[in-house]
Amino acid sequence: MSFVRVETEMKRCLLSLLLAGIATFPVAAAELPPLTHGLTPIAEPKPAPSLRLTDLDGRVHDLADLKGKLVVVNFWATWCPPCRREMPSLERLRVRLEKHGLVVLAVDVGEDADTVFSFSGQLEPAPNFPLLLDQDSKAMQRWKVKGLPTTFVIDPQGRMIFRAVGGREFDNPAMIEALLALTPKQ
Amino acid sequence: MKSRRFVQLAMALASLSGFPVNAAQTQSLDPETGATTWQTRVHGVTLSLTQIPPDPARAFYLNRGFPPQAVERYATACVFTTVLRNDAAPGELSFRLDDWSVQSEGRTQPPTSVAAWMDQWRALGLTEAAQIAFRWAQFPPEQEYAVGEWNQGMLTTGLPPGSRFDLIARWTVAGKTFEGKLENVVCAR
Repeated sequence: MSFVRVETEMKRCLLSLLLAGIATFPVAAAELPPLTHGLTPIAEPKPAPSLRLTDLDGRVHDLADLKGKLVVVNFWATWCPPCRREMPSLERLRVRLEKHGLVVLAVDVGEDADTVFSFSGQLEPAPNFPLLLDQDSKAMQRWKVKGLPTTFVIDPQGRMIFRAVGGREFDNPAMIEALLALTPKQ
Repeated sequence: MKSRRFVQLAMALASLSGFPVNAAQTQSLDPETGATTWQTRVHGVTLSLTQIPPDPARAFYLNRGFPPQAVERYATACVFTTVLRNDAAPGELSFRLDDWSVQSEGRTQPPTSVAAWMDQWRALGLTEAAQIAFRWAQFPPEQEYAVGEWNQGMLTTGLPPGSRFDLIARWTVAGKTFEGKLENVVCAR
């Protein structure tokens, strides 16, 4: 077989893989680790780093404007399996606690608006909170995130008070009860 | 002599049938993907490796904008989905991948570092988006987990497809070092 033919075969194989649309993190379906539902207290709460990003429609969202709210900041990506699994529970959490003053911000790392938009349409329930774009991953670095997903809880004074590394079930009753106790309008 | 043979046979059958190879380690095969997972739970920590065969690894990175030669280099480097979870350790654990060991055919080395891969991608001029996707798809080079915290990410050993190895993961809790070992793990072909 000539080199040209080998190269053509290789390209055909790669093209078929692309067309197969295997865009997510390859993982065995039967081996999904369980989502947990605990929050880790931050020993010495300190002011959250700045967070000012645009959403899918180009609107700017600034964490500094949310003083007085309990804010859940979730760092994620569409290809990250635990991020995908926990996202619907974040929306259910928002539905339950928004009236109590809870706001959810989801910060996608490294992807464009089209990618995030098409993914969010596949979710049930679809997220009805801002999906922010951190395309250069600078926000993630500022927040010292080391792995996806990572979530922070920011109190009404703007201080980081809890973190959660790894996928969570945000609408678990224990989680809802814990967050409700922190909201400004209990 | 007979009893030793019986033990050897029992161990061989156990490894074939998916029963624990030792007290803590389990092995399971996903019939959908054909990927094998090795898992252990030790000192309140769960550690698992799931094979990522070259084709799914190729597909993932082609979809992230990697050029074919870069994809090929990574996809054939013995890739695993790695999970480390603090279920019930006696406190917050911390680890560095540089402290872990891959033992194969008498040689011991740490898993291939994320920094080493990133150096290659920069040298190849990969786009910023591709580099960001790569960086955050990998198992964290260092991390801390309180009870209930965990990550899932890709890890490469750098061994050829089909290689067998033992992985020793190390972490510390309050200054004390703990180990978890996965034995006889096989790189996907």
